[in-house]
Amino acid sequence: MAYPYRHDKETRILTAHFGEPDARTLEGWKRRGGYDALRKALGMGPEKVVDEVKNSGLRGRGGAGFPTGLKWTFMPKDDRRQPHYLLINADESEPGAFKDRELCRWTPHQLIEGALIGAFAIRAKHVYIYVRGEFFEPAQIVARAIEEAYAAGYAGADVMGSGVGIDVTLHLGAGAYICGEETGLMNSLEGRRGQPRIKPPFPAAVGAFGQPSTINNVETLCAVPHIITRGAQWYRSMGTEKSPGTKMFNMSGHLVRRGNYEFPLGFNLKELIYDVCGGIRDGRSLKAVIPGGSSVPILSAAEIDIALDYESVARAGSMLGTASVIVMDDRTSIVKQVRRIVEFYAHESCGQCTPCREGTTWMGKILRRIEAGDSTEADIETLTELCRNMTGTTICVLSDSAAAPVLSSLRKFRGEYDALLRRDEPALASV
Amino acid sequence: MAETQTVRCTINGIPVEVPTGTRIIEAAELVGLGIAHYCYHPALSAPAMCRMCLVQVEGAPKLVPACVTPVAEGQVILTESEPAQEARQGNLEFYLQNHPLDCPVCDKSGECKLQDYTHAEGRRRGRSAEPKRVLGQDDFGGDILYDGDRCIMCTRCVRFMREISQSERLGVVQRGSRSIIDTFFDFGVEGDPFAGNIVDICPVGALLSKDFLHKARVWDLDGAPSVCPGCSQGCNIRIDTRDNLVMRLRPRLNPDVNSYWMCDYGRLGYEWMNAEGRVTRPLLRETNGEVSAQAWQPAMVALVDALKRAVAASAPVLLIGSPMLSNEDNGLLLRLARALGPCDAIFRSSRAASEITLPGFPMLARRRDLAGNVRGLETLGFRRVGNDAGQGGLPDAADRIVIALGDALADAPPGYAGEARLFAALAHAASPAVAAARFVLPVTTCVEAEGTFVNFEGRVQRFWPALNSPGHARPAWQVAGVLLAGMEAGRAPADAARAFLSLADVCEAFAGLSYETLGTRGARLRESAMLEAAGSP
Amino acid sequence: MAEAKTKLGANPGFAGETGEFAHLTESDVRGTAYVGTRPLDGGHPGASASYPYQLADKQPDARLFEGPYAERLEKIRSRYPDSRGALLPVLNLAQEIRGHLTAESMASVAKALDLAPAYVRGVATFYTMYNTRPVGRYLIQVCTNVACNLCDADDVVAAFLERAGTEQGETSADGLFTVIEAECLGACGFPAAVQINERYFENVTPDDVPAILERLRAESAGGGHR
Repeated sequence: MAYPYRHDKETRILTAHFGEPDARTLEGWKRRGGYDALRKALGMGPEKVVDEVKNSGLRGRGGAGFPTGLKWTFMPKDDRRQPHYLLINADESEPGAFKDRELCRWTPHQLIEGALIGAFAIRAKHVYIYVRGEFFEPAQIVARAIEEAYAAGYAGADVMGSGVGIDVTLHLGAGAYICGEETGLMNSLEGRRGQPRIKPPFPAAVGAFGQPSTINNVETLCAVPHIITRGAQWYRSMGTEKSPGTKMFNMSGHLVRRGNYEFPLGFNLKELIYDVCGGIRDGRSLKAVIPGGSSVPILSAAEIDIALDYESVARAGSMLGTASVIVMDDRTSIVKQVRRIVEFYAHESCGQCTPCREGTTWMGKILRRIEAGDSTEADIETLTELCRNMTGTTICVLSDSAAAPVLSSLRKFRGEYDALLRRDEPALASV
Repeated sequence: MAETQTVRCTINGIPVEVPTGTRIIEAAELVGLGIAHYCYHPALSAPAMCRMCLVQVEGAPKLVPACVTPVAEGQVILTESEPAQEARQGNLEFYLQNHPLDCPVCDKSGECKLQDYTHAEGRRRGRSAEPKRVLGQDDFGGDILYDGDRCIMCTRCVRFMREISQSERLGVVQRGSRSIIDTFFDFGVEGDPFAGNIVDICPVGALLSKDFLHKARVWDLDGAPSVCPGCSQGCNIRIDTRDNLVMRLRPRLNPDVNSYWMCDYGRLGYEWMNAEGRVTRPLLRETNGEVSAQAWQPAMVALVDALKRAVAASAPVLLIGSPMLSNEDNGLLLRLARALGPCDAIFRSSRAASEITLPGFPMLARRRDLAGNVRGLETLGFRRVGNDAGQGGLPDAADRIVIALGDALADAPPGYAGEARLFAALAHAASPAVAAARFVLPVTTCVEAEGTFVNFEGRVQRFWPALNSPGHARPAWQVAGVLLAGMEAGRAPADAARAFLSLADVCEAFAGLSYETLGTRGARLRESAMLEAAGSP
Repeated sequence: MAEAKTKLGANPGFAGETGEFAHLTESDVRGTAYVGTRPLDGGHPGASASYPYQLADKQPDARLFEGPYAERLEKIRSRYPDSRGALLPVLNLAQEIRGHLTAESMASVAKALDLAPAYVRGVATFYTMYNTRPVGRYLIQVCTNVACNLCDADDVVAAFLERAGTEQGETSADGLFTVIEAECLGACGFPAAVQINERYFENVTPDDVPAILERLRAESAGGGHR
């Protein structure tokens, strides 16, 4: 079952058991095929597991879409000199994304099994599941599942009698979007301010606690047991050549039916909106869609006839990201929503880098004035230049993410901005 | 020995060859190209967060921070290309968006990196129409004030306290544009003996010294490079003056002595340099007790005459030196004293109970000896007497020629001067014991003359005069030289450099050194000669 | 009757509406039966850092890290290679006990983990969920980020403020409710998403607000929910 609605066209792999409370328990999950993959993986050995995941073409589901198997190969092959860590990013805070929470609260053992297989593959003896602080309820569900896993001998000193030891620790965050950035997460895990680090060095060389680390998203790891059980070729049989497999699409906004829907990558966005989600609510018409979470450029209603895979969305001038599709109807004030998004980034900026620390709040203030009808053409020009100075100049891409919606909305919805501008003489700029 | 590999690149077309691992900002420095920066500091970790140092590397997709990017073979680095300039200008605009226009009331004006870079490359006109955020001011305790509105969040201060003074009193509080530096509530930076350094390294006027607050405009400041006389560490400093008064002391870089730092004890202990009540002319005391001020010539003639008579009577000599005065001053006087007869050369000096080491640069410590030239005097052959308060140990003055340099003799018994056959004091202020001398000669302090100190580990370091000497005061080495000439026991050196060279005649440890070889960073005395001369380590 | 329960977009969690999953109860969705009562001493060390730290019951004057909490602290510490790694979980624990983080709490945590107090303060103030001032019995956080904003989240905030009788960021006179806006809570398919202490209330409309507050008042009076 998908949650909270199901559509016949869905391909439910990860979401097959959403809505089944019994699926949370270890025994319930085993009855549904759980932990067979772990047993199989332990028999395959780390290299073969990595190969299988590499061959499957699975790409990271946390937004970057980096090939997971390839990422795993960056880890040293020998963990005797330095301990390896697998870090699970359950810090889902991207506006529009709500898939990891569902995976955690409905199928915690799917995550744990994927984590154990991943840890085994990269020779990590310790898995940290970093759950955002707001997710108290899902965290406790995962915690309970961890306890069950230990009790069953699936986690701990001797996983399934294989002689391999893998510990799992759940780490609860405390409210910071930037801790979803991989190096920000590592800093937060280490008990520091969750500020991103400069790269190089990369996590596979110097990660958590200075040791080689791999970070994977919840949805990514939940796919791993299925790949192990049914094989890389099976996974490739779904989706597109460069974006294989299924994806949970997070549908929100002015839709008749919101929620998570699992489809092979490459599914058509227009069909997703109008068929699967029932179209725009209240009989309104579509104005704009953010296809991949608030960090990606906005698409206008004329641009939605595209396949939802990483390449196609990039060709359309945006990004698939987390596949968090936010749908806006014709009553939406684009300026207001862009202002709200920029204020989000201003609130979440860690403050290290000057362009981001100062630029996000500055843009927010300008947008507030625009929204209030107290701005001129010069402000639009300033806004555009600020975006340029905030792109490519910082340690992490939060700054770029704040600029993207502003730039794309200026390009595609300029009329809405213009309608709000004052027509009188601009005030003298203050120094 | 392993070979250091080198890497070749070009920076703005200039070919550069540097050891592998050298960062772009360091390589640029080597060819005289400064790259604008705030958060980077050579002695601290580099977080690459201010984004001022972004430079263009041909072939790289984005601008790279020069402070953390190592030079790669064949790199073509451009610091003045349009993208690099635009990045700097854009970054400065971000800083100025919230930075208050405090220049007219800000102490840092004139030595402020935000002013400097903006003047060089910033936008000519601001275009922000938004009210600036207000974060407020704070007293961080001790000598430190903080202005959050001016702060550019470079975190140099936080990192200094964490990495160098290792008393982590500061942290970044909140996040984003509400970030600010703060202490742990009321527990401030007082008690950290090196806190003053954070004012030096703050690129803007966010951290201020209460001692220097609103005292002087930096473009009015004069001064000279010097050596801190507060203890025997010998931190290289700069003395900043205005209207012939010392306004502040700041450390000067010496990688072998104090790096970029100095302690607060030395930094804030400069008031004595401005003390009034100096002796300004030679004073002669007649047998009837009358004191008359003389010009130097007649005073010297009279003193030489008195010395000759005392020498003829075979009077032994007691020389009391000063560890607050130079090798030249003490050394020339020692030479004179030995020429006069059997000589006992002593000095007293305060000594603290313990050293205070700077954990992140342990070569630097506030040493126990609380004067700049204790080691110099020991090397020359002076004998240390007295207690840790710098008192006691005064030998009997009876029938001796007593020459006292700088020592106020505060603990001398009454009538001490009267017992001596001849008492000449080369002094700064006329303390009661000194005033009773037959000859009181005004001399310069170490701030008013050129000279050298020897620090705790035997490093000879030069200092230059920062203040004009008061009245007719002369350097003590000059006075000693004239007396030597008058006694036909030597030549008067014409300048401090020659006075220094003549120290080799007094003490072999100084042989082979000159002002040229000492330069601005100093040099070690010959180890063996130093040990012999000192007697024991 | 299926008809009455198929309120589109509804989701159990606050008022008994069940939508397409009519057979699911609030407890089914929240997983409360599965989770059970977690032991104060932390249970398994791997799960010892998972406890909610925004509770209705607060003990601002309680001594920190005693009894079962001391055991939990040790379990937490054992999961990290150095004591600094335990900082967030231990700050969570301090807030779990007292309801907010005072200077004294931060100093205690610093001492327990051998960290500088200024450092601990820097970390604690970085994160939004650490309350540096006391909050009401129920901290009501309404997401007003874009997905919820599109679905009248601003009206939900206004409704809470009005019905609870308080200003943005302030606590109501009866000490029960503090209402603030929050950033994306990760429940975008169920707008507006509202986090009240450790529970999410989803699909909240302005019309639902009175019932929610009533329920909270009842829980508070009856002591039913921690």
